[in-house]
Amino acid sequence: MNLEKVIFGFFIVLAMTLNFGFFLGEMDNPAHHNVYELFAVVVVNFMATGLKLGDRSQVGAVLLATSLVADLQLVVAVFYWTTAVHITTVGLTPDVMASIVALSGGALLANVVSVVILVADTLMSRL
Amino acid sequence: MAAAVDLSRVIFIVLREMRKPILAIVIVYSLSIAGMILMPGPVVDGKTQYLSIFHAFYFMTYTATTTGFGEIPFPYSNAQRFWAIVCLYISVITWFYAIGSIIRLVQNPFLAKALAEHDFSNKVARISGDFIIICGFGDTGSVLARGLSDARLTAVVIDSNEERIKALQLRDYKVPMPGLFADASVPKHLIEAGIRRADCKAIVSVTSNEETNLKISAMARILNPGIEVITKSKVEIWEETLATIGGKVHIIDPFKTYAQLLAFSIEQRYFYSFNNWLVGEKSTELEQPLSPPDNGLWIICGFGRMGQEIKRALNKQGLKTAIIDPQPISPDEEDVENFVLGLTTVRTLKLAGIEQAVGIVTGTDDDGQNVSILLNARSINPNIFTVVRQNSHENFAAFQAAKADMVMQPSLVAARRIMLLLKAPLLKPFFKYFLVNQDRADEMNKVISWVKACVGDKVPLLTSFDITQSNAKVLTRILENDSVQLGDLLKDPRDRTKSLDLVALVVKSGDENIFILPGSDYLVKENDQLLFCGTDLGYRLFLATVNNEYKLYHVRTGLRQPRSFFMQWYVRKMGREGL
Repeated sequence: MNLEKVIFGFFIVLAMTLNFGFFLGEMDNPAHHNVYELFAVVVVNFMATGLKLGDRSQVGAVLLATSLVADLQLVVAVFYWTTAVHITTVGLTPDVMASIVALSGGALLANVVSVVILVADTLMSRL
Repeated sequence: MAAAVDLSRVIFIVLREMRKPILAIVIVYSLSIAGMILMPGPVVDGKTQYLSIFHAFYFMTYTATTTGFGEIPFPYSNAQRFWAIVCLYISVITWFYAIGSIIRLVQNPFLAKALAEHDFSNKVARISGDFIIICGFGDTGSVLARGLSDARLTAVVIDSNEERIKALQLRDYKVPMPGLFADASVPKHLIEAGIRRADCKAIVSVTSNEETNLKISAMARILNPGIEVITKSKVEIWEETLATIGGKVHIIDPFKTYAQLLAFSIEQRYFYSFNNWLVGEKSTELEQPLSPPDNGLWIICGFGRMGQEIKRALNKQGLKTAIIDPQPISPDEEDVENFVLGLTTVRTLKLAGIEQAVGIVTGTDDDGQNVSILLNARSINPNIFTVVRQNSHENFAAFQAAKADMVMQPSLVAARRIMLLLKAPLLKPFFKYFLVNQDRADEMNKVISWVKACVGDKVPLLTSFDITQSNAKVLTRILENDSVQLGDLLKDPRDRTKSLDLVALVVKSGDENIFILPGSDYLVKENDQLLFCGTDLGYRLFLATVNNEYKLYHVRTGLRQPRSFFMQWYVRKMGREGL
């Protein structure tokens, strides 16, 4: 057993599951997408990224890249949410909500890629 | 540089050949277009219409190529139609002439050769990493190319027979093997083959002509003083010249090599099968010893190069020899028990003493004769040990059916010897260690069973590995201020309690120190040369270990090196070495 793998695996899978929960529901309906869930997704994704900093192996580099993609998408989603609700006070209209969920969907895809790489790497080395 | 010269030559030939057809087309087009413009067209709205230059050119374009889109922009007048007929015939004929010239140009043998050379030097330029030049793609050359391809080593082939190069291009090699139909002893072609490049490791000249081989070797030495020259020679006077061209030169004499092999096999019964198994002979049973009789009379049929070498080897082992040959031998020849003059027949075999003989060597240069001698000898003395020479690869099936104890195929022997020189030069000291002393037979048997246990029924992989910056980046960095045990490197990175299917046979450290079967506590150094035998998977896992710091740390310590900054901090805080 490899403690580092357990910790990283936990965070990356949790990031994916939380993101999936946020993504689920009617795309343009604000009632189906919880702001606290998005907050949790962002935090867990940042943790997963932080845990990959410093790994000099090839797989580590790819995992860092996919994590960064997820972070970027989520940060844009959060920024959009904040702008719509607090700055322009347009509110969570269906088209704003759809854009935010679309961004989180992209991040979800990056999370899925991370998990696939993690599983493939583990199976290859059969540790 | 060579490529550019070739390309300019190709362009020059094309331009020169195309000069007249292009000129003819330009003249015919311009005359036709001028005529079409001048011809008065139909009268529309009281005005005579003339074709514009654009329309005339458009008309000529589809007329000259016999497409024929019709009369535009108005139906033509008879004057225009008259000129159109003239244009059509002249321009179509001119086009045919131009196309004929192009076809003739493509068929021009000089152009084809220049294009092939250009293509070849482009392919050579695209090779990245080490490669080898093979001159001569005969039996030896093709066996060698196959072996190199299996070992993922690229080779560049030059042969003076066009058919052979075509044959090369049809083979399915795992690595690129560009081939050129040219005379390899011409320096220009050697340069095209990349002999001056630093990553050209060796040149192997195995053409059927001894003189050409010598010439190629000498040229190669002049063009690249550092290159390893390997050549096949069956004539002793050439060998002297070759040995003096300087640098690293290996002269392969298949007969001498085989005679040595026979002598070693007499000394150690497992040697022959082990050697054959290592070079990848598929039908070899490792456990099956081959023991040529070491006591009694051997008959040598045909006292050519092979007969002489084998006689010398047998005499050295203290064996008696009888010779049958149509040519009288020199009276100075020593240790000849019995000499029979004449072709080998039942009569001469009996005269030579076949009834009492323990072994027979059929070494003539005629395959039919060799097989028939073998059958004759067996009919008189069924238990005799047979060594038979197979000259041509095509007769393989006949020799296999004849079931001789040892079959000697000069081209194969040479190809394998060259292969080992290139791929596993440390095998020589390895075998020398066991053969120098009879008492080491048990030790050798132990090695054989060890290697066999490692490889199992798979094809054995025999490979050299140099611990250098480029081969093992991580390992060399660690070696700068730490020591690493060979045994740790050979642990399975997936489960370090197991070892890889890889046996280190020899380690060469520096120029002098050679360790046979180094122990697992051997401390590796940078620039050590290792010879491994094992499986392909084992070797790949080994390469992964020496190039991945986390795997290397794990096999050495059993602990896991923390990868991320966070875990590094955690481990430091807990005061531990790893996870």
